[in-house]
Amino acid sequence: MSQFVFATAEYASGDWESAPALPENLIDSVARYTSIDVAPTGVSVRLDSPELFDYPFVWLTGHLPVRFTEAERRNLKRYIERGGFMMVDDHNHDITGVFHQTVTEEIESLFGKLEQVPNDHEIYRCFFVFENGPPHTNHELNGWGDDLLHEHLHAIFVGPRKDPRRDRIGLLYSNKDYSSEWNFHASTKRTMQQDPTKFGVNLIVYALTR
Amino acid sequence: MRSRVDRPAGGEGPGALDGSVIEPLWFRLRVAGEWALRAVVLGLLVGCLVLVVRARTEERVEVGTSATLRESLVRWTTVSRPSRVHVVLDHPPSRAEQEWLVALSGAGTAVEWTGDSLVPTAMAVEPRADPAGGVDVSVAAPPGAVVALRDTLGELGAVEVPANGGAAGVRVHLAKPRPRLDAAVGPIVAQASPFDSLHLKRLLVIGAAGWETKFVVAALEERGWGVDAQISVSPGSTVRQGWLAAIDTTRYSAVLVLDTTAAPFADRIARYVRSGGGLVLWSPAAAVRGLAALSPGRPGQRIDDEGRAPRASAPRDDLALVPIVSLADDAVVLERKGDAVALAARRVGNGRVLQTGYVDSWRWRMAGEDDDAPEQHRAWLAGLVARVAYTGRTELRPPSTEPAPLASLIHRLGPAASGEPGDRPSANPAALFPWIFGALMAALLIEWASRRTRGVR
Repeated sequence: MSQFVFATAEYASGDWESAPALPENLIDSVARYTSIDVAPTGVSVRLDSPELFDYPFVWLTGHLPVRFTEAERRNLKRYIERGGFMMVDDHNHDITGVFHQTVTEEIESLFGKLEQVPNDHEIYRCFFVFENGPPHTNHELNGWGDDLLHEHLHAIFVGPRKDPRRDRIGLLYSNKDYSSEWNFHASTKRTMQQDPTKFGVNLIVYALTR
Repeated sequence: MRSRVDRPAGGEGPGALDGSVIEPLWFRLRVAGEWALRAVVLGLLVGCLVLVVRARTEERVEVGTSATLRESLVRWTTVSRPSRVHVVLDHPPSRAEQEWLVALSGAGTAVEWTGDSLVPTAMAVEPRADPAGGVDVSVAAPPGAVVALRDTLGELGAVEVPANGGAAGVRVHLAKPRPRLDAAVGPIVAQASPFDSLHLKRLLVIGAAGWETKFVVAALEERGWGVDAQISVSPGSTVRQGWLAAIDTTRYSAVLVLDTTAAPFADRIARYVRSGGGLVLWSPAAAVRGLAALSPGRPGQRIDDEGRAPRASAPRDDLALVPIVSLADDAVVLERKGDAVALAARRVGNGRVLQTGYVDSWRWRMAGEDDDAPEQHRAWLAGLVARVAYTGRTELRPPSTEPAPLASLIHRLGPAASGEPGDRPSANPAALFPWIFGALMAALLIEWASRRTRGVR
């Protein structure tokens, strides 16, 4: 069976490469906590390329305004409908910021309105248990961005039931700025009391099992 | 020349001389003609008698054809009674005609038939163990024959039996069958109907967290199966879906094992299969000791895909393969990729086991070139499950069909005669009687008229 390969989405506008250390930290966590066969290095893949479909999990982040090209839109829609999982994280953690406003507009124009993910959703329990929903980050209240604790994640649910508890999450959207929280130097993890990337493991386990 | 003749009443006859009568030649000829006519009448009566006696005592063969069979049956039954009938068929008689021939045979008439153009054909319709429904239609026909399928709404298509494929027929899947299906091979039309209702249970998928496991579960759920899953994430952690119950045929129609994480379940799976359950094994799982005894073959050396998106024309050609090697003696190869065995199956106890060498079929769904790739992947997986699934059945009342026309004909009337009919049809005495009667009446009328015109009563 093929390995899990962590993929970061390249898109034509914006700064898709703004969290360069994140992949290796998540790969490290997946290898550390699970027996999932994971590739030791991640890849970046263009959103408008056919290679996107070889990576059913992709991470997309950035600070700048996002405008997808027609080819990117077409590919993304097909990708989610076929079973791919995309995590979109607002690196500004700012609901009035340009990334949030432009990327959500792009997403909702393709898939309809983003829906709130219930905080008892299985994505918070499929490996590590997060009783209160998405774990907060140190960056949410750092004086930048909107200075809010974002209580929920949002998602595009895919499936026939139109039920957030039973349908599959195709695209997960976060304003919590995990891209900053998990974008630390690999050696730093040793000095941390709590590993902040555990929720990242849940994201990957969920994508691999649902 | 003198002769004594009848005299006309009250008059002299021609040529009377002194009480004696000398008739002219024409008169004598006329009298002789009357005698001849009387002889003819007598002969005809004797001839009729002979015909009737011969019809009663001699073997009389009559020949019929497909085109005239109905009329011939009526005649053989109500007018004449041939001792032997020979029917030259270019298509099988209807069931009523066959029963009629059987009845004729029971009444003492030997019935034989020939039909060089009749092709041995039979069909079977089996409901597929698939929530999407549909049936598998198997048609037995000679190599090279063209099988035309149709239902009550019209033509469905035609399939040619491979001339040298080693198969003796074709097998096709129909997603939405009508209550009655016909398979026409030349003049033979076999008919059959699906008449079993299946009770599908759930599926159990066992595998490690990975794309293949995820997409197998997703595809089968999208197809309509209820799926329980046991997905191993780490040695101490498993993602379970559904209520994982005892592995037996009361709960599961089939178990799908994707890799070696099923080792702890191997004994239970083996018992399940031997009791009638279905098992789909991905090749790596065949390395598990408890499952190796069930598997059609051993896993070979992995052949990686070339990174190309699965093409619409032959999507499985672009998938990675762990070929099935060291096949068990009773294993049946279902599909090859080049020289490598890609799919194989065998029976174990009361159950069936299918092994697939395609280990990353998820790429077909995700990266397949065809817009319908996800649906094709779902259908393919459902087809694998359908080949082994255990299902309860309720037999429905089958409509009257003729699934094997030639076999039924032979069953009812015996095998075809070895040669052409030996005798051409003899003249039907019944057909001669009006002519004989006409000739007889004409002779009597002429004789009577001749006598009356010369004054003799």
